[in-house]
Amino acid sequence: MSEQVHNRLAVVRAERKVSRQALAEAVGVHYQTIGYIERGQYNPSLDLALKLAAHFRLPVEALFSLEPFPPLTQEIYGEHGRTTS
Amino acid sequence: MRTATRYDRQMYALMNRREAAPLHATAARRRALVAVHVALTAAAAAAWLATVVADVFWATFAMLGLLLPWVVATGGINAATRGLLELRGRMLDERQLAERDRVRAIAHRVTTTLLLLGTAVFGVLLWTTGVEADGGLVFAVLFTALVVHWLMPLWVAGLRAEDDVHGDADDLA
Repeated sequence: MSEQVHNRLAVVRAERKVSRQALAEAVGVHYQTIGYIERGQYNPSLDLALKLAAHFRLPVEALFSLEPFPPLTQEIYGEHGRTTS
Repeated sequence: MRTATRYDRQMYALMNRREAAPLHATAARRRALVAVHVALTAAAAAAWLATVVADVFWATFAMLGLLLPWVVATGGINAATRGLLELRGRMLDERQLAERDRVRAIAHRVTTTLLLLGTAVFGVLLWTTGVEADGGLVFAVLFTALVVHWLMPLWVAGLRAEDDVHGDADDLA
């Protein structure tokens, strides 16, 4: 029944310098739940996924996906890197 | 954490205190904690039954002596589960509520199996041996079943609890 939902929560949280505890308090869950989500051990409800996305002011699909996320560097610079000119 | 009362908040803080963390830091320690709790429960229940059914006076003191370590072990398991079974539903988040449901379902299955086995063994003993089921024996069996039914979710929750990943509470990575 449960499908693997991939997420970028850990990356975004680190980038924004938000601790698990602070994020948990902001969205009203236990701090361990944030860790469970980041490790893919728990798939959040739509409600919680939307709250997490809203907290970071991102669309929900920026944080959660049914397909694995490509590395951020690949998304920004492309498959073979990008030369600046 | 909506509509939390003062009692809810106090219990939440109590269940999330970290003083007992070394007691349940690893899976092996949690298994040992649950095993100790099972042993203490069995000993305390036996002492209580000896007091009320068999009128063994000294068993009262044995039971009272077991009470404190039993309370400590119970607190250790509750701390390992962050109060999964002690806190009111409104103090748990969606993952914890789902986990509590899973724990109760597993405990129900285990208890049902144990009761089935117990009933079969008790029936075989009654009909194939000279054991007589007087009131004291029936009371002891029912009391044991009650204790197992009451505490099985706690034992299951203790065994299913996971390690607190290093820095889960405050890391930035």
